[in-house]
Amino acid sequence: MPRPLNRTEGNMWWEKDIKKLQPGAELPARPVWTPPRAAPVEHPAKEPTLKVVTPMPTNPSNSTVLGRSVAFHGELTANEDLLIEGQFDGTIHLEDHSVTVGAGGEVKAEIHARQVIIYGKVNGNISAREKVDIRKTGHVLGDLTTAGVAIEDGAYFKGSIEIQREENLVPARVGAAAGGGGDGSSIG
Amino acid sequence: MQATSSRILPAEPASSELSSGLPSPALEWFWKYLGDVRQPKILNCGPLRCSTVQVLLARNAKLYQGDIISPLLNQNGNFWDSSGKTPVFKVHDFLAEFPRVPAASLTAVFCWHLFDLLPIGVVPQVMEKLMSWTAPGGVLFFMLREPYLHTGVDAQWWMESLKAIVSARLADRPFPNPVVTSREIEKVVPPGSLKVFLTRSGRREILALK
Repeated sequence: MPRPLNRTEGNMWWEKDIKKLQPGAELPARPVWTPPRAAPVEHPAKEPTLKVVTPMPTNPSNSTVLGRSVAFHGELTANEDLLIEGQFDGTIHLEDHSVTVGAGGEVKAEIHARQVIIYGKVNGNISAREKVDIRKTGHVLGDLTTAGVAIEDGAYFKGSIEIQREENLVPARVGAAAGGGGDGSSIG
Repeated sequence: MQATSSRILPAEPASSELSSGLPSPALEWFWKYLGDVRQPKILNCGPLRCSTVQVLLARNAKLYQGDIISPLLNQNGNFWDSSGKTPVFKVHDFLAEFPRVPAASLTAVFCWHLFDLLPIGVVPQVMEKLMSWTAPGGVLFFMLREPYLHTGVDAQWWMESLKAIVSARLADRPFPNPVVTSREIEKVVPPGSLKVFLTRSGRREILALK
């Protein structure tokens, strides 16, 4: 027959701790959780020149992809990002989204988009509300109209670049704010 | 020179920290001359350099870019017709390398050392074409080597700031053509429209006004 447990022996670990706690005694310090320290970062030796990082275009799930074997002729309008790895001939309208021409992409088109990133070949005028980004493998023949341009050394570009500044886009509002009340033609 | 990546943000002025190039007396005069031009229309005939593009866009320029110097250096044979007894430079093929530019529309053309690379006989024809794209009051900016400079045809020039230029030599090849003198340029441009600035680099910086 098993021996009955004697509750006064204080064999249990919690009972020992409770016994030590007398009224007025200081509570033992609570263990405080500390977040694990991040591993020390090893800084590589500084290089004398800036390395060009040209990440290749990814294939995000929320974008349309024209694959390498696709040859498209016509007008394309979409409400999502577009990645072109094949051939495109026509017009592209993606006013609120970006167009990426992959390294294998060959585009003969007028492009209207929020942002255009070029790794491949584009022959045609580009209008981008935010930015045109020509990477070092990019080859562009055409005129760019945009708010900002990024070009890597090594890229090929022949054409014109015209920066659309905000002051040019909303002259009437600026004129009104200045209290001129004119037609805005004198701004600048 | 190692290629670098540059983000071109036209709203920001070019950093003065980048200005390790040589001050250019011609560009100093040039930008004073264009001081009241809000949006100059500029054709850059030199190699595409992020720095040059950045500087010019920061000055609010509408930029026409067409590198015609690299094809001259790298594909020189394409511009020569060797079918006859003496090779003939194909000027029309060469002029086709320029980007499309409306006539009499440009404020300035940056030719760099273009005229040192061309056969001396076609210099007037090319200069006339460039002048035809330039608006009245417009300027051609170019450099001519001094007679004592025999090598350096493959130098590349670009802007590090509005008034400072930088050069790099890819090799040390000799110049293939005789020196173009200022007198020969004066035959092409209107009288009194040439401004010559002497430098220590062995090249004269020249502005030709239309």
